[in-house]
Amino acid sequence: MDVNVRNLSVLVAAVVLASVWIGQGQADNEVVFPMPPGPMYVKECGSCHTAYAPGLLPARSWQKMMDELDNHFGEDASLEEPERLAILRWLTDYAADSPNANMLMRRIAASIPRGAQPQRITETPLFKHQHDEVPAHIWKRPKIGSKANCGACHTRANEGRYPEREVRIPR
Amino acid sequence: MMRLPALLLVMTTPVWANTPQQILDTLVQEARQAQPGFTASVARGEQFYRAKHTGGKEADSCVSCHTDNPKAEGKHIKTHKTIEPLAPVANKQRFTDPAHVEKWFRRNCREVLGRVCTPQEKADFTAYVLSVK
Repeated sequence: MDVNVRNLSVLVAAVVLASVWIGQGQADNEVVFPMPPGPMYVKECGSCHTAYAPGLLPARSWQKMMDELDNHFGEDASLEEPERLAILRWLTDYAADSPNANMLMRRIAASIPRGAQPQRITETPLFKHQHDEVPAHIWKRPKIGSKANCGACHTRANEGRYPEREVRIPR
Repeated sequence: MMRLPALLLVMTTPVWANTPQQILDTLVQEARQAQPGFTASVARGEQFYRAKHTGGKEADSCVSCHTDNPKAEGKHIKTHKTIEPLAPVANKQRFTDPAHVEKWFRRNCREVLGRVCTPQEKADFTAYVLSVK
């Protein structure tokens, strides 16, 4: 086969397309979730705990949680109705089983039994699997203290970013 | 379409940028309706801030999460998330949004005291936190 401009350009195009495809594949594997726009979600849902990404739970879990805000894990987290409805809409729009879900979110949704409405992200199968190498004494460090404290190690958790290379475990 | 409720909310929520002093003045006026002649007391506010209260749930004092120094970063007793300083001298966002102030009095008084705080308690508390330099 002769090397000419035509088949050389086909080769170049194939390499470019393959690298774009591989590049996007890596991005897909990154643990990054879409977050609601604007400051309200982080303000209202990130005061007492990390502003968890909606994609960490299915919509039916968020629906139950937002119906019980006056007793939210034992605390009063009640909101005015317009805020409650806006946040519920975002949680549903970006939930693990929403049409906007990325591959990771679909894996989370698939791992949760159909009838279940888990409330604690730390009790979902994917969370347990991703953290099974973290020994108990690390969780007890004063700057971590609780499995709910995502931001202690995942430095950009409030932006929905949980990639392993951004993890910084405090001493 | 999806974002419309949120957009309407942003457009219809009045953003009153208040000063901490204006918020304190409003709380004092509310306290005067309950108790004519009331004046806010920094000393009573500090006592309330540091006291161990009964009737609440896990946190029994303001100190439980906000530490004994309102200028310091606090920590949520259950989630361990960092809480920004409470005193406006250390955190300019504090006591600038009346709705935010009311929301947190409602939630935290229920948590710590198991009831709503009186207007007098809220005015004293605010006078103390604003007095911290």
